[in-house]
Amino acid sequence: MDDAPQYVIEMLHITKEFPGIKANDDITLQLKRGEIHALLGENGAGKSTLMSVLFGLYQPEAGEIRKDGKPVKINNPNDATALHIGMVHQHFKLVEVFTVLENIILGAEDTKLGFLQKKQARQKVEQLSEKYGLQVDLDAKVEDITVGMQQRTEILKMLYRDNEILIFDEPTAVLTPQEIEELMSIMKNLVKEGKSILFISHKLNEIMAVADRVSVLRKGRYIGTVNTKDTNKQELSNMMVGRPVQLEVVKEPAKPKDVVLHIENMSVASKLHKRNAVNNVSLDVRAGEIVCIAGIDGNGQTEFVFGLTGLEPLTGGKIELCGEDISKYSIKHRGMNMSHIPEDRHKHGLVLDFTLEQNMVLQRYQEPEFQHGGFIRFDNVRSYAQRLIDRFDVRSGQGPITIARSMSGGNQQKAIIARELDRNKPLVVAVQPTRGLDVGAIEFIHSQLVAQRDEGKAILLVSLELEEVLSLSDRILVMYEGEIVGELDPKKTSAQELGLYMSGAKRSGKEGETV
Amino acid sequence: MTFWKKEGTQKILSSLISILFGLFVGAIVVFIVGLCNERISLKGAWEGIRLIFIGILSTGRNASGSLTWGFNSANIGNMLFRATPLIMTGLSVALAFKTGLFNIGAPGQYLMGTLGTLFIALSIPSGSMPGWLIWILAFLGGVLGGMLWGAIPGLVKAFLNINEVLACIMTNWIAANLVTWAFDESNLKNMVEGTKSGYIYKTTYGLVDGTYVDGAGIATTKLGLNKIFPGSQINAGILIAILLAIAVYILISKTTLGYELKACGANRHAARYAGIHDKRNIVLSMALAGGLAAAGASLYFLSGNTEFFWSTYQSLPSTGFNGIPVALLALNNPIGVIFAAIFMAMLDIVGLQLTNLTAYNEYITDVIIAVIVYLSAFSLAIRMLIAGKAKKKALSKSDGPAPAAPAEPAPAVDLAPAADAAANTEKGGDEV
Repeated sequence: MDDAPQYVIEMLHITKEFPGIKANDDITLQLKRGEIHALLGENGAGKSTLMSVLFGLYQPEAGEIRKDGKPVKINNPNDATALHIGMVHQHFKLVEVFTVLENIILGAEDTKLGFLQKKQARQKVEQLSEKYGLQVDLDAKVEDITVGMQQRTEILKMLYRDNEILIFDEPTAVLTPQEIEELMSIMKNLVKEGKSILFISHKLNEIMAVADRVSVLRKGRYIGTVNTKDTNKQELSNMMVGRPVQLEVVKEPAKPKDVVLHIENMSVASKLHKRNAVNNVSLDVRAGEIVCIAGIDGNGQTEFVFGLTGLEPLTGGKIELCGEDISKYSIKHRGMNMSHIPEDRHKHGLVLDFTLEQNMVLQRYQEPEFQHGGFIRFDNVRSYAQRLIDRFDVRSGQGPITIARSMSGGNQQKAIIARELDRNKPLVVAVQPTRGLDVGAIEFIHSQLVAQRDEGKAILLVSLELEEVLSLSDRILVMYEGEIVGELDPKKTSAQELGLYMSGAKRSGKEGETV
Repeated sequence: MTFWKKEGTQKILSSLISILFGLFVGAIVVFIVGLCNERISLKGAWEGIRLIFIGILSTGRNASGSLTWGFNSANIGNMLFRATPLIMTGLSVALAFKTGLFNIGAPGQYLMGTLGTLFIALSIPSGSMPGWLIWILAFLGGVLGGMLWGAIPGLVKAFLNINEVLACIMTNWIAANLVTWAFDESNLKNMVEGTKSGYIYKTTYGLVDGTYVDGAGIATTKLGLNKIFPGSQINAGILIAILLAIAVYILISKTTLGYELKACGANRHAARYAGIHDKRNIVLSMALAGGLAAAGASLYFLSGNTEFFWSTYQSLPSTGFNGIPVALLALNNPIGVIFAAIFMAMLDIVGLQLTNLTAYNEYITDVIIAVIVYLSAFSLAIRMLIAGKAKKKALSKSDGPAPAAPAEPAPAVDLAPAADAAANTEKGGDEV
């Protein structure tokens, strides 16, 4: 490393232990002023722990933090804020029933005689949001807005506080390609203005595109720091995982068979506005193919899936699954032929306060294998959960009796995928199955989905991530403002063309009826 | 897992510590009140303190005027008798808590149970059917009344998304007025014992040729318990309450219905996603809670030695509200509820002893009970403290980290998710 550079933040030989585990083992991270420094590592590599130490949420057992070369003690997030360290957390820290504006100013309110000065705050936020192109509806309640807008709210929160060291924890997980590009340019602008950015990500493309240097962690240990211009994606992923990783999805061409899912003119009402969130959508999914619904977040994909799985009622149209009209069926009844990997694993996918084994039988507890005369057969539940854990390599502290909440995001997702795929249904609805996961986990999940396809399952994938859409699907349907605006062949299209469809700039035919 | 690290041990320990702490503070209150009251000497204050801790074993005073101690069958029997309705309201609150609902409507459900039970017990002419059948009908009628009353906040919550606490508070007062009105209009008011006013007949009164006759009615069988605890009001009701507690325990932890109810309580969205009828389960859960609270009223008033003061429109039965501290103290464990309710009943008896044997007046005993109950509710905080200690110990023990070895179970998982995420992940650190 260079001798001269002015480090704005240095974390030297940080060690943080939890019972039975060293989450951080002698990790050194040095952030130069005005650089974008990426922190790369798999789930459980210790990135979040390291950032929590920097943010004052944990106290390290050993090591030292320096700001501008001077040792500092960060005992709590207030100390971090005083040092102008700001963080956008992976799981948003927003008050759901507050408006966007209220969330942004929360904790840093301007008051006059004890009264909130919202007007000034609003002006400042509006300026920031315009300057950085962060579109938010300041008066919408957080519980009503999309995940993407929640993310933008978080970023604005940090900017509102004039922070100079900005930590982005997986900021792009929920953004569209265009939004990601915008964010990248925002980050570059911020750096130009003298701010320093710590960028936590698994996404090698983004790191290569935006970061100046990358520090890699693996299993709590520091592997090394490299300049992005001296490295490449393959090398980084190998450093991160510790073995050569398959970055591309390996699959044979699809051999589609009979139609499993047939949707005709389906409409679903919106909760945000009077129009339909899903409008007149028709599509088919055949056995043995992966059909992907691509689109920018908030274009009706969520409502489409809710309508399909029964979480929301249809306002029109018909759904046929395996030749049966299921449009009026209950969620349970639909589940007879359908697995659903939900978009929000904390809200829908898991009962977080239940144990892993309880979560594994969430839909199946009434099957004779798991109950007898209304009494749960605990030994069968246990052995079934253990089987899934082994087969899908779900890692947890106490195996089947681990509380789901205490597991890492990647393993929570693996547990859901294990549960849903093992139900062995003709249709698999997978909504953002790899959101926020690392390369290793994504590789695993993609290969599982391809295996399901090859077994003759119909797979309906909903994804916001272009790379995933292009590499995994056999057919792409683009959804824009609740309508299917185009069908593309992933082998013949490009990210740019897909982006045009996704942003509504291009559509094939009228009313998306080409499908 | 060693004994001290078990979650169960920590739970029980935390409740015991908070009880002791509460008793200790109660003793301090007694001491201070004693100092401030000129009628109470230092010796009197010391007596008060001893009564706070072991009043249940007090047998009165001997000829020389000092307190005597020993097995007091009347006290212990009465304690169990008073614990009976508390077990039921405690179960009611605990069951609702387990399914994610706060049932503050136990007083109303208790009143509706009283209404159903007394009307059925007193309206069926004695001799028209066997006494035990009347007893069962009256019991079930009360339970049904409570279930219906509990279902109302459940329905309102499930279908209109109105907070159950709000609905419960309102249904409580509706019940209070409804019950007063119903008894006011009825001919169940005790006219035989002219010296009393405002009371409904005890269930020992039976309807014989249009008039109420004492002894012709029904009462819960004693089942020989009065031989074990002579001089007390105890009857088989306590056994029924214990059986019901065990039934609730089995329901919650062993059955698919319990699993459904818990899933709805812990994450309504996930339950719905999995095809569980979340709305039905919310209503069911509140109805069951209401039925349990009402069963407490049925068992209490069917004992035959209790009278109902019917003009209750300005107050709600404290037994209903006391279900909340009982459930808290028991950390919502149905078996724990039995012991927590018995403890609360013991405080009641201790209060009586304090009033009877010392110069402390009865109101100070209520204050002390309130202090103890209040501090008992801290058992959750104490549990966190114990769990934290256990964690620190585990940390200092593990010198060399063994990343591959399964991490020590972190007990307060729900309380410190971030820290435990790291502790529980087998090979990694925390979630990234």
